[in-house]
Amino acid sequence: MAGLEHLLGALTPLNLLFALFGVVAGTVIGAIPGLTATMAVAVLVPLTFAMPTASALILMGAIYTGAIYGGAYSAILLNTPGTPSAIATTFDGYPLAKKGNGDYAITVACLASVVGGMIGALALLTLAPPLSRVALAFGPVEYFWLAIFGLSLIAALAEGSLLKGMAGGALGLILSCIGVAEVSADVRLTFGSHTMLSGIQIVAALIGLYCVPVLIDLVATPDHHLKIEKGSGGYRLGEAIAYLWRDKINAVRSSVIGTIVGILPGAGGSIASLVAYSEARRTAKKGQVYGKGEPGGVVASESANNATVGGGFIPTLVLGIPGTPPDAVILGALLVQGVRTGPSLFTQQGEVVYTFIWGLILATILMLPTGLLIGRYAYRTIITLPKALLVPAIAFMTIIGGYAIRNNISDVVIMIVLGGIGWVLGRFGFTASPIVLGLILGPIAEAGFVQAWTIGGATDDRFAMFFGRPISIAIIVFTLFTLLSPFYLARMKKLKERAHAD
Amino acid sequence: MPTEARKDTGGAVVSLLLIALGCLVIWDTTTYADSDSAVFPRTFAAVMIVAAVAYVLTWLAGRGEDLGEPAGGSSRRRICLIVVMLAGALAMPWLGFLFAALPVFGALLLVAMYDPWTTRRMILYPVIGLAIVFGFYFLFNDVLLVPLPTPAFL
Repeated sequence: MAGLEHLLGALTPLNLLFALFGVVAGTVIGAIPGLTATMAVAVLVPLTFAMPTASALILMGAIYTGAIYGGAYSAILLNTPGTPSAIATTFDGYPLAKKGNGDYAITVACLASVVGGMIGALALLTLAPPLSRVALAFGPVEYFWLAIFGLSLIAALAEGSLLKGMAGGALGLILSCIGVAEVSADVRLTFGSHTMLSGIQIVAALIGLYCVPVLIDLVATPDHHLKIEKGSGGYRLGEAIAYLWRDKINAVRSSVIGTIVGILPGAGGSIASLVAYSEARRTAKKGQVYGKGEPGGVVASESANNATVGGGFIPTLVLGIPGTPPDAVILGALLVQGVRTGPSLFTQQGEVVYTFIWGLILATILMLPTGLLIGRYAYRTIITLPKALLVPAIAFMTIIGGYAIRNNISDVVIMIVLGGIGWVLGRFGFTASPIVLGLILGPIAEAGFVQAWTIGGATDDRFAMFFGRPISIAIIVFTLFTLLSPFYLARMKKLKERAHAD
Repeated sequence: MPTEARKDTGGAVVSLLLIALGCLVIWDTTTYADSDSAVFPRTFAAVMIVAAVAYVLTWLAGRGEDLGEPAGGSSRRRICLIVVMLAGALAMPWLGFLFAALPVFGALLLVAMYDPWTTRRMILYPVIGLAIVFGFYFLFNDVLLVPLPTPAFL
């Protein structure tokens, strides 16, 4: 078990400095749309080669956790997820900011991120070997059903019209098919265009569908971007702590979801935050209106995505299977350092691993003051910057951010075109969220389905492949429960009302 | 049939466009060499067509969704924003990042300008614009080592 000596090992001035630098750098990078946590970690990997292994890991872990949190700033203030993990933060974060509660939303996001990060890191510290088995229990068919579960959120995100939400979700799924098919290398839906050959990059699409429509509306009127409440721009820490305490079940549940989804290789923070948001919405208390500026939505999304940091390290360190894309980069850096990941890592190189885990916990704690401070300045900048500077600055950030993802100008063009289309669709009630949900979950669902279909064909029992595995059955039941429970509850409510009226 | 005007005709028109898009997708899937590649796009296209047709039928029945207030503000500025951003992105491979970004920033500043031009603003805004463009250029090019486009003519 990780002892005091490892905590003291993490508490050296050098490690604390690395943790602080990592959190600040990660938060700033994550806040810029287009710059992902993976990129933040990848850029700094060469710097770590000459460092002691534990310090290198602490720096990379701190950057990673900071970047995941930083994505919340642009999600809340600009309706643009800074990283894909922050997609669900936009659902309630931006409406909160529009109402003049952007400072409050940022503080709630910071607190939730710290809670999620701590729970993920504590799971890594105490339960890593047994939890790593979850990663091995998930096959292609489980990923397929997990994606389908995520798609069930369309019903909740379709504001106003379920039919429009379904059409939008299907459109997103179709967009995710554009380019060269992973399974059979067929060129799909490009209609001869070379620009479309590499497909639609998810982050570019997120920026396009969320941020460009905001810019289009921003430029059209002289009104302020966000409503400014009298006396706003503070931390509102007491208010946020009180809310988080009232919503503690949501925070803990979302953190556990984030930890478990983080363990699943390839799933990542976006799925974790969507699943957690879906659960928070399903279990909403009376008076909580999700999608219209409910802080609980921010709590769910941010605690889940930060919990994936610790969760993702579990299969990375125990099995050598990266849980999330940044973990893959960190795994590469570990190999360069001569660290051999595997079940014996915790016993043979326990000093390095436990010092790193304590470093990650310290970095998560450091995120509280740094996150609040940076968040306050980000909020003040956004509300005080004149529109004539705000619009070109955001537009410029989206262009350079869209380009930097794959160093491809086609991504920028697709981003702007999608933004224009998204604005038009939004005007007629086809909101962006179901489209984005389809775009994110489409590739996971398709890869899982085709692989499971092929394996099922080889074993000559496709039905058992799709419907006979225990985890699959659990996810299917849960999906049905999520989809049908609102109808059941509404029916029960109606019957009760009728009985009262009689 | 309802006697009052149908709500959300725009939504019905978008639904018709989505139906056409769905048909186009299904047509495209007939050209794939491997049938596995066609399963998902075809299924999603079918779902989209069914949902869009159902919405059109809802609209025909006079039960279209009420969208409330139409989008206000200047359409000209909206179009200018998209055109400038697109032009800047398309010009970047030829002009290079800096030579394309500076006029884009300047043009967008003009598009978004609602306040009267004072001497202070005429000096301050371009200076801030230059600081933002060069600041991001330094961050991406020199710190994050992103290979930003260079001018084709140099």
